[in-house]
Amino acid sequence: MGIFDSAPRVFFVATTLRLVLLVYGSWQDANSAVKYTDIDYMVFTDAARYVSKGQTPYARDTYRYTPLLAWMLLPTAWESSVLWSSLTFAFGKILFALADVLAGWLVVQLLTRCYRFPSERALRYVAAVWLWNPMVANISTRGSSEGLLGVLVAGLLWATLTKRATLAGLILGLAVHFKIYPFIYGVSILWWWDAERDGAAPATNLDVVSRVLRFITPSRVKLTLSALATFIILNFIMYTQYGVPFLQHTFLHHVTRIDHRHNFSPYATLLYLVAAGNTEFHFETLAFLPQLLLVVVALPLVLAKKNLATSMLAQTFAFVTFNKVCTSQYFLWYLILLPFYLPSSELIRKPTLGLTAAALWVIGQALWLQQGYYLEFLGLSSFVPGLFLASLFFFAVNIWILGIIVRDGGESLNTEIQDKTE
Amino acid sequence: MKRRITYIQRSDAGFDPEQAVVTPKSLTIRNLVAAREDRLTFELNDLSSELRDLLHKSKDVHVRWATEESFDAVPPFASRVSPGLHVLHTPLDADQSSETFCSWLGAAFGRNENEEALDCSQHENTFIESPHRTTDSHAATSLQYHTQLPSLKPFISNIKRAICGPHTTESAQCIAVADSLSTADVVDVDYDGTSNTLVLSGFWANGPTGGWSEEIHKPTQKSDKVEFGLLGAEPGIGADEVKVGGLLAVVGEDKKLKPTMFSFPSRHHVLPQSASYAISFSEPTGLHPTMSITIPRSSLNRPSAPDDTTCSLHTYLTLPSSIFGDQYQLGTSDSLFLQSHNLAGLRAHSGETDLEAPDWAVKGWGSNWLFELATPTDDDLASQSSNWTSTIPLHLRYLHPSDTGYRPVHVPWPVVFWACSSEYEEESIGINPFDRTHLGYDSLFSPRTFFYQLHPQSEHLVEKLDAPVLNLGDGQGFFQTHNIELGTSIVISLGFFWVLWQLARVAWSSGLGANNTAQQVEVHDKKD
Repeated sequence: MGIFDSAPRVFFVATTLRLVLLVYGSWQDANSAVKYTDIDYMVFTDAARYVSKGQTPYARDTYRYTPLLAWMLLPTAWESSVLWSSLTFAFGKILFALADVLAGWLVVQLLTRCYRFPSERALRYVAAVWLWNPMVANISTRGSSEGLLGVLVAGLLWATLTKRATLAGLILGLAVHFKIYPFIYGVSILWWWDAERDGAAPATNLDVVSRVLRFITPSRVKLTLSALATFIILNFIMYTQYGVPFLQHTFLHHVTRIDHRHNFSPYATLLYLVAAGNTEFHFETLAFLPQLLLVVVALPLVLAKKNLATSMLAQTFAFVTFNKVCTSQYFLWYLILLPFYLPSSELIRKPTLGLTAAALWVIGQALWLQQGYYLEFLGLSSFVPGLFLASLFFFAVNIWILGIIVRDGGESLNTEIQDKTE
Repeated sequence: MKRRITYIQRSDAGFDPEQAVVTPKSLTIRNLVAAREDRLTFELNDLSSELRDLLHKSKDVHVRWATEESFDAVPPFASRVSPGLHVLHTPLDADQSSETFCSWLGAAFGRNENEEALDCSQHENTFIESPHRTTDSHAATSLQYHTQLPSLKPFISNIKRAICGPHTTESAQCIAVADSLSTADVVDVDYDGTSNTLVLSGFWANGPTGGWSEEIHKPTQKSDKVEFGLLGAEPGIGADEVKVGGLLAVVGEDKKLKPTMFSFPSRHHVLPQSASYAISFSEPTGLHPTMSITIPRSSLNRPSAPDDTTCSLHTYLTLPSSIFGDQYQLGTSDSLFLQSHNLAGLRAHSGETDLEAPDWAVKGWGSNWLFELATPTDDDLASQSSNWTSTIPLHLRYLHPSDTGYRPVHVPWPVVFWACSSEYEEESIGINPFDRTHLGYDSLFSPRTFFYQLHPQSEHLVEKLDAPVLNLGDGQGFFQTHNIELGTSIVISLGFFWVLWQLARVAWSSGLGANNTAQQVEVHDKKD
C-alpha cells in the first residue's frame, strides 16, 4: 500500500517537510552569517514593527505590499524572551507554510470532487507539483509571501467550481488588493459562469437583447459586486489609515517604477535603454497591449468555458511571459494551477514533448542565469548580446509552451463536473 | 586681511639661523625642509560683492579639500578627510534651496582638466543632509556635498579674480599665494556668520625639492598683519596634549624671531608610521563590490589616549551616488553578520540610500557612512601575525550605457581612525590655534573626543572600479539601440500573433463555448 493511498499521510509529510525547514532555517539564521530567511521577510517584519509602534509600514523602504501583510505579521514584532522571540519571529513563516498546505488541500478537494480524480491520483499530482515540491516549501519557510497567493488562487477556484459566487468575489477582491495580477482571473470566471453553468437550459436563436440579458446572471452579478465591494472597502480602509503612501507603494509603484534591473523579461534591455534616455520609438509604451489583449480578452474568451483552470493557467503564463518585469517569484504564480492542467496535458501524454518543453525551459533559464552571473558577479558587460538574446530565447520557449497549453485547453472536455454536494 | 604662515619641522630636521632672516620690511626663508600651513583671514569687505552676497545668505560654509595623492599628516595638523572636495553649508533660512550656492560652487571649483563639470550645476537637490548624532536633535540642518576633484586649478583662477582684485603689490602677493595652492595637499575655506570672516588655508606636508624659499613682505595697509612661526611639535605632558616650540615673528613689527614654547589639548593626533591601513576591492567586483580595509595587527593597539576615554576604531566612507550600501543589511545588529565582516556596527549614515534606483534617478551626490570596526581580542593580537581585514559589502547602481560596456566608478579612500571619547559629554576640548573641525565625522562624536588617524598606505587614494553597463559598441556592430528596439518589438509581436493564431484555431474548430457535453455525461456515467 502506497503513501498516496492516504491523504493524511501525504499532508503529514508535507507539513513535516515545512516544519523541518522552519527549524533548520532558524538554526541557520542563528549560526551562520548567510541567512536562510528571505530579505523580503525582513522587510515584512520591519514593517510590522513600525505598525506595532503605531507608525506606517511604508516607513520601511521597499515595503510594496498591502498593510494587511504587516498587520498579519504583528506577532513577529512582539518583544519577548529569546526562546519565544525566535518563535514569534517565525510566526509569518508558519502562516505562509500553513497557507501552502491549505492551498494543496483545496486543490486535492477540487480534483477529487469536481474533476472526479481518484484520490490517489489527485494526491500524487498535488504532492509532486505543490505539497512536496521542495521549492514551494522552501519559498514559504524562507518567508516569501507568494505562498499566500497560492491559497488565494486555490480558494478562488474552489469557491467558483463549488458555485459560491459571493465567496469567490470576496476572495477575488482580496487577492487583487494583495497582488493586483489576480484581476485577470475575474474575467475568466465571469465568462465561464454562464446561465447553463447555473443549471439553465441551453438557449438557441436568441436576439441581441435577450443575449445581453441572459449574460447578466445572478451569479455573475453577485461575484462582481462582492469582488468590487471587497476591493473597494479594503482600499478605502487602507487609504484612510495610511493615505497616499499606501496608494503609491502598493499600486502606483508598478506604474512609475524606475528600477529596471536585469530580469527575465524580454523588455529588460529595451527598458534599460529607455530609462537611460537612449531610444527613439518608444515601443515599450505599447507593451501593455499584447499582454492585456491576450490575458483579459483572447485567452478567457476562447478557453474559459472549455476549461476554467487551464484558462487561468494560460492567462497567468501569458501575463508573466509578456510582463515588463519578470523575476523567478513570478513562476510560482502558475505552479498552483498545474495540477489541474498537467494530468490531461499533451505534455504528459507525449513524454518526449513534455521532456523537451521542460528541457528547453530549463535551458532558457540556465542561459539567462549564466549571463546574469557574468554581469552580477564577474562584472562583465553581458547586457548585449548575452542577456538580451537569452531573454528573447526564454520568451520564445515560453510562447511555444503557451501554444501547447492553449491547444490543450481547446481540446479539453468539460471536466469540471458540478459538485454533487451542492 | 590677516595672514599666518606656519612651518613645522621634524625633530630630526636641521635649522641654521641663516635660513630665516628678518628685516624691517620682510622675512626671508631659504631652503627650509618643513611642512607648511598658510592661513589667510579676510574681512567680508575684502571680498567681491558676488561672494559677499552669497555668504550673507549662509550661516556657515566649510570647504575641505584633500589631494588624491598620499601625504604625511604632521602634528599639530594631524586630521584627515577622504580625497576630493567636501562642502558643508548651513543656509540662513532652512527652507532656502541650495541651488544658488550650488551653482556658485560649480563656478568656483569649475571644470577640471578632464572636462568633468561639478555635478552640482545639474541638480537642485544634489546636497544631502549631513549626518548628525541622534542625541543632538537641535543641531541646525547643514547640507553636505562631495565630489571627486583631483585639481584645484579652476578654483585658483577664481580666487585670483574674486579675492586678489586689481593689480597692486598686495594683489601680486595674493596671486602668489593663490598659485601656491596648486601644490597644496589640503585646502580649507571657512566662513562663519558670527565672526563675519572668511578663512582660506592651505597645507603642504612637504616642501618643494630643496626646501621652502620665500620672501614674506610686510603688509602695506595698517589693518593687515602677517604672522610667522617656525615650530616643531612633540607629544605634551597630558596624553591629550601637543607641545610646540620654536620661533615666532610678526613681519614688519618684530626686529627678530622670538623663541616660544607652549602646549595645548589637541583633537587630532598622529599615530606611529606603522599604524597604517590599505583599501582594496576583492576581484571580481561585479555589481556588488566588497570594500576591504586591511590593517596590520601590530598597529591595532589602543592609542595612548587620556585614561578617562574609551577608544574604538572607526572608518568614515564617502561614496559617490553610483555606489552605495544597503542600510538594512549594514545596519543589522546580527552578530554573525558583523563578525563575518569584522565590523562592530553601522553608527551613522546619510544621503542617497535608495536600494533600487539607477544612478540617473538619484539626485544627491552620494552618501556617507560611519562604521565602528571590530578589533581583534588581545590574545588574538598577540598570537596572530596576519593582517586584520574588515569588509564592507556595497552595491553598484545602474549607470548610463556606454561605448565600451563599462563606466568607471571612483571611490575615494575612507579615513580610518581611533575615536577616544570621554564620558563627560559636555566638556569640550580647550583652545588649540591649529584646531580643525567640520570634517564630516567629527560631529558624530561627543565634543570631547580625540581622533587618532591611521596612515593610508598607498600613493594614490582613489580606487577605480569598472561598472558593467549596456554596451553601445561605439556605433559599430549589430546590437545598436535601434536594432535592440526593433528586435524586441519583432520578437514580442511574433510571440503575440503565434498565441493569437493558436487561439483562433481553437475557436475555429470548437467555438467559444464548452466542448461536447455528451462526453461530460459519459464521464459521469463511468464514475457512477
